[in-house]
Amino acid sequence: SFNEYKLNFKKSKEACLNYIQEAVLQKQWKRAAEFLTSYAEALEKDFSKGSSCPSEIIWRIGTEILCHHPHSSMREFSSFIEQMKTLAVKRYLKVCLEHSFHLLCNGMIDEASQNLSLAVSWRFGEQSILQAKEMKLIQAYEGLLDYYRWSKQKNVLLERGEDEYEDLSVEREMHSYFRKAALNLKEIIQVPGVWDIFVKCYVDLLEFYGDNEEARQVLKEYAYNSKFPSNPNAHVYLYQFLKRHGESKKSLISVLKILHDLVPSHELMIDFNTMLQKSKKRRNRRLGLEVIFAVLDYAGWKENMKAWSCLARQVKQIVSSEKDLDWIKQVWDCRKDWWPAFHFSHYLAKRNWQENESLSYEKALVAGILLGKDCKYFRYVSKQGCKAQVKRFRTLKKFVHKHSPIYLRTSG
Amino acid sequence: QAEVMFVPHCGGTGESWEPADAAAVPLLPPNTSCSIPQVVPQDILYHSFLRRKLSMDKPGPLLDFTKQLSHFFVDHPEDAFGSLGQLLHKNFHLGDSRVKKEVRDNTIRVTALMEEINRLEARRGCPWKRLICCLRWFAHLSRDWLFEVPLGLLGDSVHEELQLQWTRLLFDDRLTGGALAWLPPEDGARVGRLVYPGGEAMNRLYFQEVVLDKLPRARGSPAEFELNGRIQQVATARSDGEDFVGIRSDYHCGVWRVPGRAGAAPAPLQVIHTRVPASCLTVSPHLPGELTVCTQGGSIYLWNVETGLQRLRHDPQTMFFRDHSPWRWSDFTAHPRVLSFADRTGLQCLDARAPERCHFDLFKVGEEARCQQGERVMLPIYLGKAHPSQHLVATQFSVYVVDERLPLVPVLKWLHMMKAPPLFAQLSPGDAGRSHKLLLGASPTQEMLLLQYQGERRGGQSACQLVGHPQKLHSISSCLEHFQTQLPHHHHLLQQRLGAPAAGMAAVLKKDRQQESLLVFQLSEAGDVFYQRLTHEVAQPPAPDSRDEATAAPGSSPLFEDPASSPLLLGSKEEEEEDAGRPAAMEEAELSQERCASPKPSPVASSKATALRYRRWLKGLSEHCRDPPRHSYPPTRGQKRLFTRKELQTLVGDSALHRQAQQKMRQAMLEGGRIQHWDLPDSQTSAVPQPPEPEQDTDTLSTRLTAAWAGDWNRWWEKRSSFYKAQRQRALQERRRRQKRGRRWQGLSASFTSSLTYQSELSELSGTDPPPSPVLPGAGSPPRHSPPPSLELDEGLLSSQSLHSRGIPKERRKTLRDYLGLQAEGPPEPLEFPLSQDSQLCIPSSQSQRSSASQTRRKRPRMGF
Repeated sequence: SFNEYKLNFKKSKEACLNYIQEAVLQKQWKRAAEFLTSYAEALEKDFSKGSSCPSEIIWRIGTEILCHHPHSSMREFSSFIEQMKTLAVKRYLKVCLEHSFHLLCNGMIDEASQNLSLAVSWRFGEQSILQAKEMKLIQAYEGLLDYYRWSKQKNVLLERGEDEYEDLSVEREMHSYFRKAALNLKEIIQVPGVWDIFVKCYVDLLEFYGDNEEARQVLKEYAYNSKFPSNPNAHVYLYQFLKRHGESKKSLISVLKILHDLVPSHELMIDFNTMLQKSKKRRNRRLGLEVIFAVLDYAGWKENMKAWSCLARQVKQIVSSEKDLDWIKQVWDCRKDWWPAFHFSHYLAKRNWQENESLSYEKALVAGILLGKDCKYFRYVSKQGCKAQVKRFRTLKKFVHKHSPIYLRTSG
Repeated sequence: QAEVMFVPHCGGTGESWEPADAAAVPLLPPNTSCSIPQVVPQDILYHSFLRRKLSMDKPGPLLDFTKQLSHFFVDHPEDAFGSLGQLLHKNFHLGDSRVKKEVRDNTIRVTALMEEINRLEARRGCPWKRLICCLRWFAHLSRDWLFEVPLGLLGDSVHEELQLQWTRLLFDDRLTGGALAWLPPEDGARVGRLVYPGGEAMNRLYFQEVVLDKLPRARGSPAEFELNGRIQQVATARSDGEDFVGIRSDYHCGVWRVPGRAGAAPAPLQVIHTRVPASCLTVSPHLPGELTVCTQGGSIYLWNVETGLQRLRHDPQTMFFRDHSPWRWSDFTAHPRVLSFADRTGLQCLDARAPERCHFDLFKVGEEARCQQGERVMLPIYLGKAHPSQHLVATQFSVYVVDERLPLVPVLKWLHMMKAPPLFAQLSPGDAGRSHKLLLGASPTQEMLLLQYQGERRGGQSACQLVGHPQKLHSISSCLEHFQTQLPHHHHLLQQRLGAPAAGMAAVLKKDRQQESLLVFQLSEAGDVFYQRLTHEVAQPPAPDSRDEATAAPGSSPLFEDPASSPLLLGSKEEEEEDAGRPAAMEEAELSQERCASPKPSPVASSKATALRYRRWLKGLSEHCRDPPRHSYPPTRGQKRLFTRKELQTLVGDSALHRQAQQKMRQAMLEGGRIQHWDLPDSQTSAVPQPPEPEQDTDTLSTRLTAAWAGDWNRWWEKRSSFYKAQRQRALQERRRRQKRGRRWQGLSASFTSSLTYQSELSELSGTDPPPSPVLPGAGSPPRHSPPPSLELDEGLLSSQSLHSRGIPKERRKTLRDYLGLQAEGPPEPLEFPLSQDSQLCIPSSQSQRSSASQTRRKRPRMGF
């Protein structure tokens, strides 16, 4: 009966897909290709109008197989993709985009660009409206490729030097690339999303032509617009831009402060800390202490020499001056129940001493001040240091013993 | 300036890891104490043709909870009716004798009721059946008071439990995380520990030392702990040089500490009890003795061995949108005080110091991650060993890598196409510049996938990308073909055993001088541990894959030409009728495994050592199988009422002998054993019954079988054939006489002899005499698939009653009937019967069945088919 036929057909289709999956996952590309051909052939015989043609499956698997098949060529790949484009109007632009990616990964930038511009001019009634999102992306990538061409031309011109700078045609070409790229890139970065690469390229273009105001505006929008997903890179780009243009310390600090709130473990926090420590304002120095403590909360920084020496320096400074001890008390209060186990255990003392003597020195200093001279970490490291006749460990011991009353005040 | 380079996000060049073994290899001896079979849909679903009728009204599965209830009543009568039975036993009369007149008013004769029930049972499924009045009356009367537990309450509970079992059959999320863990050795050593559950109910925790030689092997006997529930998850983390092992069972969580040095004994630290089942337990990689626990009610706790439990949040609702699943999960993040908290809709990070105020969304099922419709979080894990701020989120469709610093937008997404949702994940981090190896595992299908990804390097500009090609690893069930050939039912048992859902996995990266290998351990729900090795092959110039060449058939469409595949495709249809309720994915997985195992050649011939392991494992399993667990039923009341004391006393004959027998019986009952033989001192009759003397008039089948058993089957045949010759002549004469009378010949079904006559006529027609000594394949034993049907087919062969009495399960009766009916329907065209020896044995049966089947068909309307 027809129903039975349909059921059997469905079953064999599923079985065939299973075969393909098995083969693909075991890297048997030829086997997979054969299965795929029979799958496609079987679909041609599908007279049941109920289900739509699983063209996406064929497209995805076919691309995957053709990418790895030992006998496939770029030409075959392209012709397959062309077939897929006509087969699935609903995802025409997606197919185009992925095809361009494939071309780009194989170094065929011109073909990819051609492909993209063809896709941009594609019109298919309602379908082109439904795929507006993909269209924007395609335009953005077109802009990106134009940007690369532009920067190539730029490098050519810069290499030629002053005397040949008069080459107008090259320059004109470069400017036309700029215009196209700027137009397309500007479009995409107004849509909320993570567009790091496009923003960077666009800002580079603007900076080259001296439009710093626009660049700053773009970066600020990208970092501060609440419609965009929270993205630490946006703040980093803004900070780098401001730093390039010699902005005031104050504005740099305000950018980094927001980054600190978002991602306390960011690499830039070390720069931020040094910047704050150099600041004359007490409030900033205090923030600096908080920043470096927050950095060391994170497992990724646990054995970072730079961070520990920053902290040790600042703590030492505060303790020697015997001013602002309440700062230490405050940041220490919410950490004293877990930092000892996290940073200053006996096991870590042994390991740090074996692996990195300087690290253990910095950590021992901090431990000695925060936990007192009886702390396991400090005792172990100072004992080992004195045994090894290293001078700085002896001064460290003296320093901590001298300031041991501070421990009572900060821990109390 | 450097030329611009584009790198694919997925599928760049990765490392090549090739399987070193042809299939998974057993690591430890089988968990012989586990003999409880898995619950299958047939156990709890209605499987009669009534199902179709009933499911018209209510879509979805129909739970057969009356079956469970009746099992309970029969198996535990003491618990079901104990006290009232005791009170009322005077008012029930058991036995065949009539009720005495004086007590007839307040006594019920149970035997009559039983007869009615049996009659009812025989007509089960008949829509026109009517309850017999006295049964209905009894049911009405006793419904309220007879049961120890009120029937409604009991029914509700049973139904609830069945529903639970059914949802677990569809998807069991209690196993999330997996119950197998590897405790790596201290640097340089080769002895690590494997932590896994075992025992009858998977309630024993084992710490087994494993030596990582060329082949991993267990060393010594494992440290063992007996726990108070089935172990669902084993979680570990190492901090401060010690391993902390968290064990989750439904209502208890415990933590063990295992010192890093080899040989040190694991020490239990603390146990907590939860009122609702716990769904997650993870161990902190940052602080020793710290864990997080989630319960199904929506609570998350931070558990410190020293300071105790701290509840961070309690919210029965899901986070981002409404989802019915009570499953919750949590893990640690880069910050030791910040925990991730997940339900099916997404992930949040919350600060343990101020859980109400400080939290942010890490992953949401929705637009940001471009999730599909119906996509749900299955397993989130913290990838701290690879990158301090990255997490993996696995859904039933995809895997995502998310970064705490860039929340909500995944940095990597990949469609994994696994048939079942991944419940286990293992990370084995790569060194600088190397890819991280990520293993994903699913439970019911035993699938395992190996992915490689390259994380963003610290300070570097490279983005997170999937490299290499996702690779499928061996499942436990794929090693079936590497075992020795088994008897069919042993083979089936073995297949079932190996096909048990996966319960956990663990991975070890091992470096031996130049050779790197990845060891993957797998645990099945039956408690067996298997392993497989993958060796790293340093990149070579791409050569044509020899394996690929070998399998590439010259034909264009291997699917339809492959002889191995097509019969199975057909076979699957039949299977479906039997177990329609089974999840399709499971069936497919099995099928595909079966199918795909055959055409591809094994990559590496399994070495002697692994062959030995298979053999040993099988030996361990079969030794256990031969001695099935003895069930001891508690003595039930009532048997003695069958006979009164007086009746029993009169039966006593020879008193000394009798007493001895009684004593022996009692002793056997006390020991729970059985009486092998009586060996009474003055036994006139021998203990072993003599085979009955073959009588002259006994049926031919039994004589033939007896002859075959004795070994002189040939002689029997000769005797028979000479006997037939005479008989045939007689029959021919008879026939001629009948033809003369002008009556139609109708004696096909009369007897075996007449049909054999018919057959010998045929052989006469074709001109070949029946060979004097036919040598049949397997003459000694009847063919397995078609046992020679009994020749004394009575009319009732196909009636429900007789099928029932033959022990044929209800659900198969219809199949059998249909099958027999089909056989009978074929018109008897004599010339089409193959004239081989086999057919001579087959024909009589089909002939005689034909008549009875036609009678059954006549019966049908009355039976309600």
